[in-house]
Amino acid sequence: MATLVRVDDLRKEFGKVRALAGVSFNVEAGEWIAIMGPSGSGKTTLINILGGLDTPTSGQAIVDEVDVARLDESGLTRFRAQKIGFIFQQFHLVPYLTAVENVMLAQYFHSATDEKEAQLALERVGLADRIEHLPGALSGGEQQRVAVARALINHPKLILADEPTGNLDEANEETVIQLFRELHSEGHTILMVTHDPAIGNLADRRIEFAHGRLVKVTPSNDASRNAYR
Amino acid sequence: MFWRLLWKLLRGSGGRLAVAILALVSCAMVVSALLNLEFDIERKLTQEFRTLGANLLISPRNAQITGSSPAEVMTESEVSAAIQSVKDPNVIAAAPFLYVVGSAPNTPVVIAGTNLEELPRLEPAWRIEGEWKSSQAQQTACLVGRNVAQQLKLAVGSSVSLTYWKKNAQLEVAGIIDAGGAEDNQVFVELAEAQDLAGLPGQISFAQLSVSGTTTGISHYAARLAAALPAYEVKPIRQITEAEGDLLSRIRLLIVSMIVLISALTALCVLGTMAALAMERRQDVGLMKALGGSIARIVTLFMAEVGVLGAAGGFIGAILGFELSRWMGQRVFGQAISWRWEIFPWTIILMVAIALAGALPLRLLGKVKPAIIFREQ
Repeated sequence: MATLVRVDDLRKEFGKVRALAGVSFNVEAGEWIAIMGPSGSGKTTLINILGGLDTPTSGQAIVDEVDVARLDESGLTRFRAQKIGFIFQQFHLVPYLTAVENVMLAQYFHSATDEKEAQLALERVGLADRIEHLPGALSGGEQQRVAVARALINHPKLILADEPTGNLDEANEETVIQLFRELHSEGHTILMVTHDPAIGNLADRRIEFAHGRLVKVTPSNDASRNAYR
Repeated sequence: MFWRLLWKLLRGSGGRLAVAILALVSCAMVVSALLNLEFDIERKLTQEFRTLGANLLISPRNAQITGSSPAEVMTESEVSAAIQSVKDPNVIAAAPFLYVVGSAPNTPVVIAGTNLEELPRLEPAWRIEGEWKSSQAQQTACLVGRNVAQQLKLAVGSSVSLTYWKKNAQLEVAGIIDAGGAEDNQVFVELAEAQDLAGLPGQISFAQLSVSGTTTGISHYAARLAAALPAYEVKPIRQITEAEGDLLSRIRLLIVSMIVLISALTALCVLGTMAALAMERRQDVGLMKALGGSIARIVTLFMAEVGVLGAAGGFIGAILGFELSRWMGQRVFGQAISWRWEIFPWTIILMVAIALAGALPLRLLGKVKPAIIFREQ
């Protein structure tokens, strides 16, 4: 497998606070990585840098042969549109756009909109009957599935998910995790921040952080994967 | 998708945007009405000014018009021919005058010979008891000033005897004039009658004209008339034309000042609304940026929204302004102001400009950092 993400001695400081203190690791294309660790350990900072939402203080963060640290504002904008699919804990849907329009918003900023394709993406995540609903009329799980459809619509190289099940009840969590399993089996590369060890065990590898440092990398096995409920 | 997003943005922030559009509609209404008034004010005011009387004088060179017996005179036919030849639709009235100081029984009186039929058009502000006159055939009719009528105890229908040197004329009072000036001490007779009394057939002291239009237009007409009458002096009556020009300038300055002030206040109102809206939209903008939306594309979207607001406000306001200007015309001038269609697009353009100026806070959304926005949550 080809290396899709290469992180080398990545550092990020917010004033005197060191969020990342020299992190290095690689992610192969098609891998599912769970990033774990306590609050404040640098997980979200890492995701933000890999997604081009933030820039490192030093080091390299190369995604699909693009060094994110070297991109300017417009380069980062293009990078986000073309290579990254974000899934957030808070869903972050635009409240006055319908489900299909929220998906089309990502198409709009990527290239051209295709409503039919956006509808198919929603059908794929089981929301065929919720296409014209506003986020306020959807459950948390449904909103997160809209966010998944939006993240996939532009066929990104890398899916970055920050606590995607953190705001969901058990039933909705299972639905969303099932979606991630399908995405993984289709060959998508996923970096997912999670606090839940059971979800972390579903990934190919668990990378654990503490105080801005990578402290442990644990490959999962079939036994741990099957342990998920 | 752009227009779909724009529509959703407008609908999604209806409450806040309603405040902005209300301000823009109010501004557009007042501004379009004032602009319409500004365009029409010159025509309306010159119409109003014409009730003040004549504003152009043809006189012998270096003559002093004192109302006494004429020291120098002009040839009536020459003046009349010149006025006929220099045609101008703005000439409302033209009347020759021959002044002599004669006497009524035991009382000296200023006799003004003129074309009595022209007087109502020349001096529309004069009030009259009785009738203006009369036809040319009614040669023996006269109009007497209020003071003369009081002094000689004259009433409409009574007769008066006027004497100049050894000549005498017996005239019937057709009306009593209340001009509120020196004319109240005069007796107005037909020009031919005065010429006969004075023994100056075909001669006049001066001619007065009432010409509508701008100060410049009146000056141009005076110049053309002067060219046709090189032997005489043709000049606008300075006090009246200067007063007209001065008043017009002041009213225009007032209108323009009000338009600027109202526009500035509206821009501030829109600014306040948009600042609040910008705060509300930080999350949306953060998300759009995270999805790969460029600053230019996002800000263009919001600016288009503001532009649509401005255009809609301008459109609705201009229609209401049309009604407002009609009402203002009726209240101020007693007749509706004619609507100028070119004001319509100008009002819309102005409102779009005001809305965009007031939308400066939205430009700050370009500086929103998605990571910071998401971290705040």
